[in-house]
Amino acid sequence: MNAPSPALVAPRPERLRLVGQRRQILAVMHQRLMFGLLVYAGIIAIIALRILWLAAFGDHAGRKEGMTALIPERGDIVDRDGEPLARTIDAWTIAVHPTKVIGDKLALAQKLARLMPELSEEQYFAMLRSGKPFFYLRRRASPDLVEAVNALGEPGLALEREADRLYPQTSLAAHVLGFTDIDGHGAAGAERAFDKYLSDPASRGQPLTLSISSRVQQALQHELEDAMVHFSAIGAAGVVMDVHTGEVLAMTSLPSMNPNVPGQATPDQMFNRATLGVFELGSTFKPFTLAMAMDSGTVSGPGQMMNCPEVLPAYGHLVHDTHPFGRECSIAEVMMESSNIGMAQIADKLGTERQKAWLKKMGFLDKAQIELKEIGRPLTPGSRWGPFETMTIGFGQGIAVAPLQLAMGYATLFDGGIYHPPTILKVGPGHPLAPGKRVFTADTSYRMRSLLRLVVMKGTGRKADAPGYRVGGKTGTAQKLINGHYSQTINLTSFAGVFPMDDPRYVIVVMLDEPKATKETFGFTTAGWNVAPVVSKTVSRIAPMLGVAPDMNREPNMSEVLPFVRDPKQDSKKD
Amino acid sequence: MSARSFHSVFMVASCAGAALCCYMVSLHVASERSQLEDVESRIVVAQRDMRVLQTEIGTRGRLTQLERWNASVLALSAPGANQFVSGGYELAKLTRNQPTVDFQAPVVLAAAPAPERTPAIGQESRDDSGAETPSADGASPGALLHQASLKIEPRDIPARAVAPVRAPALKTPAAKSIAAAKPAAEKPAAAKSSATKSAGKKSVDKPHLAAAKPVTKPARLAKTDPLAPLPVKLANKTAKDSGPAR
Repeated sequence: MNAPSPALVAPRPERLRLVGQRRQILAVMHQRLMFGLLVYAGIIAIIALRILWLAAFGDHAGRKEGMTALIPERGDIVDRDGEPLARTIDAWTIAVHPTKVIGDKLALAQKLARLMPELSEEQYFAMLRSGKPFFYLRRRASPDLVEAVNALGEPGLALEREADRLYPQTSLAAHVLGFTDIDGHGAAGAERAFDKYLSDPASRGQPLTLSISSRVQQALQHELEDAMVHFSAIGAAGVVMDVHTGEVLAMTSLPSMNPNVPGQATPDQMFNRATLGVFELGSTFKPFTLAMAMDSGTVSGPGQMMNCPEVLPAYGHLVHDTHPFGRECSIAEVMMESSNIGMAQIADKLGTERQKAWLKKMGFLDKAQIELKEIGRPLTPGSRWGPFETMTIGFGQGIAVAPLQLAMGYATLFDGGIYHPPTILKVGPGHPLAPGKRVFTADTSYRMRSLLRLVVMKGTGRKADAPGYRVGGKTGTAQKLINGHYSQTINLTSFAGVFPMDDPRYVIVVMLDEPKATKETFGFTTAGWNVAPVVSKTVSRIAPMLGVAPDMNREPNMSEVLPFVRDPKQDSKKD
Repeated sequence: MSARSFHSVFMVASCAGAALCCYMVSLHVASERSQLEDVESRIVVAQRDMRVLQTEIGTRGRLTQLERWNASVLALSAPGANQFVSGGYELAKLTRNQPTVDFQAPVVLAAAPAPERTPAIGQESRDDSGAETPSADGASPGALLHQASLKIEPRDIPARAVAPVRAPALKTPAAKSIAAAKPAAEKPAAAKSSATKSAGKKSVDKPHLAAAKPVTKPARLAKTDPLAPLPVKLANKTAKDSGPAR
């Protein structure tokens, strides 16, 4: 009976082990719970802190990011006076997702054909049934059309706003501005040359300021277009340039194009005759030859006399003149009457090597150094450049350069002989004047003034004179090379002028491609009859805008050349 | 007791109050900032609208279009070289020409009776012009009238009656349209002087003065009128005098 109960006996070792295990497990569980608690507390603390942080420094829900500054999708292009020449606008685009069309496709095609008649009903229907996911119907649609399309109520039609390039002045300076492709990247002109600047978010907020003056551009383009239509020319080009800085104030190539719809332009319209086209510009080259000769010392000055026969036999060829002297003549007369014979002899004295060196220095043997990408490479005789070619180049045949280069050459000659690379960017704080390079001496530059003024006062360029603006310049009539032969009837006429000649500030170069004779020109197609009047009209329009005041009492020092010009009246008296 | 027991409550309340104040400040700042941003975004929207409108106006009034309107309607052309004035002097010359033309008209009318008198008094006037030409030449009709008044006895009244009218009339044309008046006046004077060629300057002076003196005061008038030329003549005389002396 007194037998001890098993309970009073020390617990069995298994049981003891069990208690110890349980305590251990409990401790682990506590640890885990604590860890979980800390994790949750930490998360909550982070959230709370974040909320506090947002409350103190955060932005509110209605904040409009990126609305604090107006940065267009693509930078503006403005002219030198700040007038916009190219801008990016929000345009409406009408597109269709044929797979999402739920209504009657035939009815929809009929309605679309009525609204947008550029495609027929069948074409719209084929488009809707093609199963392709997306078609553009119209880009840059007018708001009226967008409203009408929206009223169709078809969910498959998509109306979207899209950044689009607009050229407010349409065809004005089209070749300088260029145009953009469908993706908004520059495809020609300044759009292509400055694509990086215009599309970079850091720089596109600031407009790109060109050196073009839209008013000067308009005057030049209008007068040139008039002449082109009047003389039935196939093309024309014109450049106005600042002599001292090389800034291009106006540059046009006709026939022009509308950069708003580049797809409609023909290759001929897209071709930039002023920079990409190279032409044999004829007698407009003569002042360079004379300046080279005067600088080299082979010609002493406008008073030097030389033999000017009716025909000059040279190196197995004959050089002719339109108005042969057939007597002794002075350099001033050679220039005034644009004598090939006289100029060929001057070039011959100068020599091939020196001519090449001068032309190289003037930049006539390389591409023009302008920012545009559409630059033509000049054509020279190359390896055939012998003494006779030197003669022909002396009077402007046998070398083909772009009209822009001709303007550049005249700017060099009349900026005291200093060459500045031409630019289409406005010279100012953001675009400093490029360092100049001396080509001719200042004395030669000065002496050329009266010689070129003489051409306009008494010589072949009389019709280029704009009263009071002291225009000086040189006409150039070049025969066109047709099937390897110089045509006797088809010409390319040009005029390179500088004004005001007593203190040269601007160069104007105009060119007409294949002008036809009219009643007023008495059957002539030479430059004095068709392009010279363009210069006169343009200069009288643009000179007041450019701050050149007309003055009937100012002239360059004509006493340097007038004594060396024989008066035709005296000639007739002697006879 | 109660304060001590509520101590912790006060602490909590004040902490909560301080935190709430801080929160209110930050909330206020945030709301101000959002208002500012609203204004900024409104400015941007307005700028964009302006840009759109400018673009539209610029496109509608593009230079090609203006040129077309000019060709069809306005027909404006570039100013000619003679339409520019180089300075203020040329500009003033343009404006002064008109009043002188107006001003001379009544003088011509007033001088209409003068030709009747010239043959009668012509001799003396010629003497006058021969002796002290410029003043008489300067204003031909006025001068004739004035000489006529010299001779007639009741000259005081007409002379004074005419004088106020003549004086301004004489001054302005004499100053500004000398060139216009001279040739007209000089020609007859020259013709007349050729008729009386023999008379030298000095010899003419004296008879004139002698003739003027009996008629009393006109001599004074002759002195006062041509004040400007007189010293010149005198100077010439002295020069001539000194010439031979040299």
